[in-house]
Amino acid sequence: MAPRARFSVQTLSVLAALEADPSAWLHGYAIAKQTGLASGTLYPILIRLADRRLIEARWEDEQPAGRPRRHLYRLTGEGLVAARTALSAAARRRRPATGRTAQGRLAAEGGA
Amino acid sequence: MDRLVRAVAAVVRGSARLLADDRRDWAHALLAETDEVATAPSARLAWLAGGLWLVAREIVVYRVVPVLAFVAGAVGLVWIGWPGASTNSATPANRMYVVGTLVLLAGLPVLVRRFAGPVRRGWAPSAARLGGYTVVLALVAAVDVKHRIGSQLGAYFPVVGGVWAMYVGFLLILAGHVAGLLILTSRRIRVSRGVLPAALGAAALIAAVLYLLAPYGIDAAIERATGDWGQATVPDYLLLGCFALAALAVPVAVHAVTIRLADNDGRPGVLAPARQAVLATTCAMAVAAMLVAVLTSLTIALRPGDVPRQPAGDGICHNCEPPTIVVPSNLRQEYQAESDVAHAGGSTLLALLVVPLVGAAIAAGRAGANGSRRPGGPFH
Repeated sequence: MAPRARFSVQTLSVLAALEADPSAWLHGYAIAKQTGLASGTLYPILIRLADRRLIEARWEDEQPAGRPRRHLYRLTGEGLVAARTALSAAARRRRPATGRTAQGRLAAEGGA
Repeated sequence: MDRLVRAVAAVVRGSARLLADDRRDWAHALLAETDEVATAPSARLAWLAGGLWLVAREIVVYRVVPVLAFVAGAVGLVWIGWPGASTNSATPANRMYVVGTLVLLAGLPVLVRRFAGPVRRGWAPSAARLGGYTVVLALVAAVDVKHRIGSQLGAYFPVVGGVWAMYVGFLLILAGHVAGLLILTSRRIRVSRGVLPAALGAAALIAAVLYLLAPYGIDAAIERATGDWGQATVPDYLLLGCFALAALAVPVAVHAVTIRLADNDGRPGVLAPARQAVLATTCAMAVAAMLVAVLTSLTIALRPGDVPRQPAGDGICHNCEPPTIVVPSNLRQEYQAESDVAHAGGSTLLALLVVPLVGAAIAAGRAGANGSRRPGGPFH
């Protein structure tokens, strides 16, 4: 059963970043760069998504040379369904508005 | 500037120690990324400022607010429950309730955490714990006030051994309810979406109806029906019938709804439908009994003058040991009024023990009956 949750624009941007390649494990800074979110916004979103079991998190297995191990994230099966549902709903919400704008522009151009 | 970056990182790392284990990981995750952030120290500082915000927010929400809420509740209970004249026989028992309740409310989470894990994440489990604790504190405060009003003629309301045992028993029943609340909201227990809201909704609805039917409890109706206190009337039997019907209908309804919701939930880690049904039914009955008890006790404590009056007695102090002591005639009216308040709502407190057991028994019985028709048994 997919959760019927509504997500904020910021959460949708995180879901979109993770949904782009659902099998890939992303680290926090990579998601921050993709979404443009500050760390103080991004991490509470990641925590909330993990609490709702929409994403899974793990530490890197190997200790890389010269830097600490990173925390990695990806969507769970349930999260993937929720992300796709929420992103397509958001796209549907945007489309009629875009349509109206385009129609308005065409009308304005025709009238000019 | 680099020194400032290192100092802020140290503050984030140090304050992260105040977080729960799983939350600490998130602060460390953010710190681990700091080196990846652009080399400009201002960008690193901005990244770490987010870490400070994250840690501060978590500490306030999950540490400071719950502790302050508990302290406020504890102060309220002490303020209401502790005072009492030395001639009032309820004073020592009330103080025992205050201390016992606070000890069990503070200690049980530590104990339950060892077996069932910490509170489940999200606002709903935390809100359920906060609500449950508020109800328990309100119940004990109301019972204390009721006892205090009903034991002012202390010499005629002695707290003998049997009464002490009953008081300790009440605390143990409360401990059971609190443990149930903590276990049900812990991380190890996963139930299907909608199961607990449905159970809580049914409990709140039935509790509201039963309370409105008998705001001072059903003790008078029981006494009349058993012939101890005048003649029972048709409304008495109807009232008792409503309570009995609720005790049987709520478990059946909650069980059916839970099974339906759980059967449609294929997520891994979620309890088997039959187990969920037993949990939800017991929870609904416990919550309904608790809400009726707290509402009835609060009503009696706030409006003791409106408690149903027993007919004038024979002047014998039936609470005394031996029950042959005669109450002086000038005190009989006061004695009777206090006795009525002291005994009012007693059945709702007894229901705290009996009603959840009835719910569990009915749910287990239905699970057994359904399971015998399913391959693999009821709990698979």
